[in-house]
Amino acid sequence: MKNFIVTGIFLLIVPAFIQAQELFTYTEPASNMPAKSIGIRLTNNLMEESVTGKQNYHLVPELMWGLYRNLMIHAQAYISNRNNSLVTEGGGVYFKYRFYSLDEVHDHFRMAFYGRASFNNSDVHQPAIDMVGHNSGYEAGLVSTKLIKRTAISGIISWLHATDNGGGNKFNQLPAGRNAMGFSLSAGRLMLPREYTSYDQTNLNFMIEMPGQVNLKTGAMFLDLAPSVQFIFLSKMRLDFGYRFPLVKDLGRTADKGFLLRFEYNIFNAYK
Amino acid sequence: MLFAAILIAVSTSAQVNKISIQASGLTCSLCSNAINKALKSVEYVDKVYADIKNSSFDISFKPGSQIDFDQLKKKVEAAGFFVAKFTVFMNFDKVKLEDDAHIVINQVTYHFLNIKDSNVSGEHSFQVLDKGYVSAKTFKKNAIYTKMDCYKTGVAGTCCTKSGVKEGNRIYHVMLL
Repeated sequence: MKNFIVTGIFLLIVPAFIQAQELFTYTEPASNMPAKSIGIRLTNNLMEESVTGKQNYHLVPELMWGLYRNLMIHAQAYISNRNNSLVTEGGGVYFKYRFYSLDEVHDHFRMAFYGRASFNNSDVHQPAIDMVGHNSGYEAGLVSTKLIKRTAISGIISWLHATDNGGGNKFNQLPAGRNAMGFSLSAGRLMLPREYTSYDQTNLNFMIEMPGQVNLKTGAMFLDLAPSVQFIFLSKMRLDFGYRFPLVKDLGRTADKGFLLRFEYNIFNAYK
Repeated sequence: MLFAAILIAVSTSAQVNKISIQASGLTCSLCSNAINKALKSVEYVDKVYADIKNSSFDISFKPGSQIDFDQLKKKVEAAGFFVAKFTVFMNFDKVKLEDDAHIVINQVTYHFLNIKDSNVSGEHSFQVLDKGYVSAKTFKKNAIYTKMDCYKTGVAGTCCTKSGVKEGNRIYHVMLL
């Protein structure tokens, strides 16, 4: 019954936000960075443990590289204070390849596939798999994004496989298995400016995303609601501020709600 | 005698005043800026005026430059987008244009489509119709204006050599606006 209600909310909320930008906060769109551009990101997450109320801070510095017009690579480091002192727990690489693009003026439909490999040496403390800061493993997924004027909607479906973590920390989360299906639906709205006159205008976007995961062994699921606001400065810098919390939390996570603050800077034509 | 031969060998000249490119696949200014910076990185580009709202870019060039349309199109694609409309503003000096025929202007071969045979002078604009310069739908639609293979390939085939164009040479298929 609860899942039915959640699905209902899911289907009602998304159409209400059909006016958007594709630079989502919690997920990546099917579009790529320009070729020969470099991006730098600093993502801060402050997540609250549901049992203890303890706040866990995660910092993910990230370097992004547009190799070709349809291929980009990211490298991340995972830093966290969950075990009381701020330590680097691991890192990961991510690539995205855009294989389909149908473009018109102010419109596109694009598809990309992506892959991720992560390493983490912290203890495995929850059955839900998170490749960005909790688990070692692999992820592969498909992204589809539709842009219509100031509207973007994006959907992701992925497969996640958790290996054992480093430092002798095994993935021992029975009955949950090592394989999960990830999914998300995102929509965003370009709020400001009302009319574009200059690259110096600050853009304000409002996004709403619903990331989720199903464990393929147990069928347990989590589904989050993650609204965020995004500022774009001088058409090259980005500031994201988001909050996510669970709507469905059968698939357990230690800290399942909290804030995100990210800063991103893009360098176009970074090299010849 | 030699003097006359040199005069005949000089191809028709005209000057590109400005090129206007409308890009597809974007709305936001961050995306537009990616194209803006990519176009500005071309060494013979003088200025780029960006109309963010309409996703279009007006480009002016350094005097005496040899402008490569394909290079400009590739810059838009490298930024992650595509060309929706590519308009060239050219100053003609008594140039004879024939419909569905090839003409060399400033060492570049053009194939004008859907025009009346005419002598042109002064500034005129034309749109490039080749693949990648218009939407796929528009490219298919305009195929009715010629039977020559070069429209589909963008290079001279056996269809074109009788007008003196070397096989394999790049041909820009264009329409006067």
